[in-house]
Amino acid sequence: MAREKEESMQVSRRATRSSTFSANNNGIELGKPNDSYIPTLGDLVFGQEPISLDDLLSRFPGRRVQILELLRLLGTLNSSMPPLFVYGSASTGKTSIIIQVFRHLSRPFVYTSCLSCYSPRILFESILNQLLLHKKNAFNGYSSAKRCEKPSDFVIFVREALINVIDSLKENAEKTSTSKLKGQVNGKMIYLIFDNFELVREWDKSSSILPFLFGLSDILKMPEVGMIFISSTSPDTYHSNTGYVAPIHVYFPECTEDDLRQIFMRNQANQKLYSSFLDIVLRPFCRITKRVDELSTAFSLLFKRYCEPLSDLGVLPNGEMKRRLFSHLQPHIAPSLNEIFRVASQPCLECGVNQETRRKGGARKSVGSGDLDDIGFHMSTSAKYLLVSAFLASRNPATLDASLFDTTGVSDSRKRKRKASEKSLEQKEAAEQELLMKGPGTFSLERLLAIFQCITSVGEEEEGNDGLRVDEGSNALMSDILLQLTSLCNSNFIVKGGSCPLEGSTRYRSTLSEDLAIKVARSIKFPLSKYLYRR
Amino acid sequence: MGKENPAAEKASNLLRSRLCDPNFVVKHLSDSPDSNYSSVTEACNNSILLLGPRGSGKIAVLELILTDLLLEYPDTISVIKLNGLLHSDDCCAFKEIARQLCMEHQLLFSKMASFDDNSQFMIEMLRECGLAHKTIIFVLDEFDLFAQGKQRLLYSLLDAMQSVTSQAVVIGVSCRLDADQLLEKRVRSRFSHRKLLFLPPSKEDMQRLLEHILSLPVDSSLPHAYAVEFNKKIKNILADGRFKEIVNTLVNLDSTVNHLLRFLFLAVSYMDLESGFLSFENFKTALSNSHRQPKLECIKDCSILELYILVCMKRLEVKEQNSYNFNSVMKEYKSIHDSFQTSDYYSRNVCLRAFEHLLQRELICFTDNRGYSQSVEFRPVKLLISSIELHQGLKSYCSCPVILLKLVER
Repeated sequence: MAREKEESMQVSRRATRSSTFSANNNGIELGKPNDSYIPTLGDLVFGQEPISLDDLLSRFPGRRVQILELLRLLGTLNSSMPPLFVYGSASTGKTSIIIQVFRHLSRPFVYTSCLSCYSPRILFESILNQLLLHKKNAFNGYSSAKRCEKPSDFVIFVREALINVIDSLKENAEKTSTSKLKGQVNGKMIYLIFDNFELVREWDKSSSILPFLFGLSDILKMPEVGMIFISSTSPDTYHSNTGYVAPIHVYFPECTEDDLRQIFMRNQANQKLYSSFLDIVLRPFCRITKRVDELSTAFSLLFKRYCEPLSDLGVLPNGEMKRRLFSHLQPHIAPSLNEIFRVASQPCLECGVNQETRRKGGARKSVGSGDLDDIGFHMSTSAKYLLVSAFLASRNPATLDASLFDTTGVSDSRKRKRKASEKSLEQKEAAEQELLMKGPGTFSLERLLAIFQCITSVGEEEEGNDGLRVDEGSNALMSDILLQLTSLCNSNFIVKGGSCPLEGSTRYRSTLSEDLAIKVARSIKFPLSKYLYRR
Repeated sequence: MGKENPAAEKASNLLRSRLCDPNFVVKHLSDSPDSNYSSVTEACNNSILLLGPRGSGKIAVLELILTDLLLEYPDTISVIKLNGLLHSDDCCAFKEIARQLCMEHQLLFSKMASFDDNSQFMIEMLRECGLAHKTIIFVLDEFDLFAQGKQRLLYSLLDAMQSVTSQAVVIGVSCRLDADQLLEKRVRSRFSHRKLLFLPPSKEDMQRLLEHILSLPVDSSLPHAYAVEFNKKIKNILADGRFKEIVNTLVNLDSTVNHLLRFLFLAVSYMDLESGFLSFENFKTALSNSHRQPKLECIKDCSILELYILVCMKRLEVKEQNSYNFNSVMKEYKSIHDSFQTSDYYSRNVCLRAFEHLLQRELICFTDNRGYSQSVEFRPVKLLISSIELHQGLKSYCSCPVILLKLVER
């Protein structure tokens, strides 16, 4: 938008007072207002070239109905409009379509997102800043034009600001030409757009802010102001005791398969090749999700794999080549479906390629186990031991600690196997059910540290003296351990549960899944299965 | 797109602005409450409540009357408007009253004035205006919100009206029909218990209103022949039996005037700008657009994996498991796959992500409030759609797997 251009023209004010009094270079002189850019009415319009209707329709394949509906509801120039409520699930194009529609119409608008304006005060001040054409820069100390916290103040300020803007729009409209210039402002109406509106429900004062925002057009009583709310949840999820002023609803459905095909075919260098690729993958992937952002990351990886046997990417595939490519891709589709939401980081991609070459030689393992050695993140050895001990502490009941971690031998294997009676089977099932429902148990800090000490001494014995040296400088190590624990808590591997009612100390809970725990244990060569309590 | 018909554009703009302006509608419909007139002319203190469902035109009628009164008695009336959404806090309310009084009488308003200063000021102004035989009209919109908390504002307003020297009218507007029950005892005793109910308009009124709104003025800047033709077409549509049915459906759902106006706005936005006339199809499309079923639309948006998860949750509910979480849903999912050998069996991570999509769409939600000490897989969840909606949604889903329909029907 116009704002980014204007920002780049400002020079940073790092210079000291004495060195800025040179009028030759671009230094800003203190005491003078920033005169490199004066905001005008054109700031309220989308800053770049307006686009034609066909261009608009072609940018958003499959959204023709919604675009036309929006254009109809916005109407011709200067026609009034009740508030609009645009809703649809995430990544269906609501925000981008509305902004591009305003670009096409060249009408002034004020856009605020309730995601970046996360409280009423920031929301009100952001709207006022845009209407008063106020830029936050170093000169005014990055402050807003007016301090506004309460809705009553906001109504007074915004009414003044809107009247000013509408007056200047009226003047502008009188001396306008009909050609479509960049920065051209059409019409005498101004529109307020509230994006991510569903987040307003979570705010503290939402029970008074929501009816206020919905009824803002009624409170202001200005026909030259139009309001548009964009939400990713449907209007019936907005609850109120006494109801809201009803806006007009516009619904954005998810893309159908044909729409998705059109969207993915845009901007592809080799249309026929990509079309044959989509023939194979689109249908199975659409069974999982229809969101464009999720599909595009999955498809980009798969397409690279699809094109691997091709030496020339510009070739047009015929029937035989298509079959060959299909058979090459086939074994990768099913595992890729199970990894569809995973976005691999760059190093993983490269080592993925290496693993590919390794795997081809050896026995055919399933792709899931190919990641066995690769947890996907780096951790120090002590942190891994800490994780494993947390997992064990959450998983096993405390009474077993003594027998499991007894260094004189593992007692599990000596358990006599009795024939399971029906009652004990039922009990087992109930216990399993409880495990499913309740989740991992809580443990105290002392228990965690005790298990940690036991495990690291086991590790040391098994690896000879290459493991952790726990006995030397154990005090220093203990504070390191506590630091490690804090960082594990911050990354949500361990969460703080409630405090124990008797003692009052905090209890912790491990959120590690069993697969990940097994991977971590394998990477430090720790025999996890021996210590897990199997009910 | 196509040739533009400037007359049609002007006509559509005119209609749209009429539909967005409540005063135009109300002028036609109004039955003026004479009580307001009497309190002004006879200089007595009065209070009244206007009650009616949201969108029935209470504020519009009030505005109409106030403009009439201001025209008739220009110097003897001043109007103070307060809104419960903005000024329910007492400090705020008094500040706003003081500000509006200052604006009205060209006095200087100080933002630093305290609560006591403001309330003193108001009482003195009331006394002065009473001595000068000027009436102050207080309009309290969203009256039920003023009745929360300690009701200091209401008490001081109504109390000030009890004295002989002041002339004030307090008009409360609310959409809660029991707004007067919310008042404290001492406030209610000072309130005059007059209520005016805004009922939905009768069928004949509705018909006249429609005609009044949709007919273009014949002697305006629009071309005469076009306007006459337009009005004739409108008359034909309004007389049509199918149209009367549409209006009946609309009124059965929500009989306020506002609802009708929104419907008309939709219809006018569908007007074909090339020919420039409204047709019956416009109204039919507008009806289907204004009667939406968001939950069914939500289900149509779901992917097949998400539908599986919903059906698993439904089955768990049918089996009368009181609380279940993602892990139990996964167990059910696995058992369905084992017994029916479906082709849609995906790994746990994929299902977890689909589960989160469902949470975003608000088709399911967590049942615990505090729950941030547990990860997503262990928190108990529940369905937010009924089995009928789920059933309907599955039936209207294109390419829904047959197995899901069978499972839901059992």
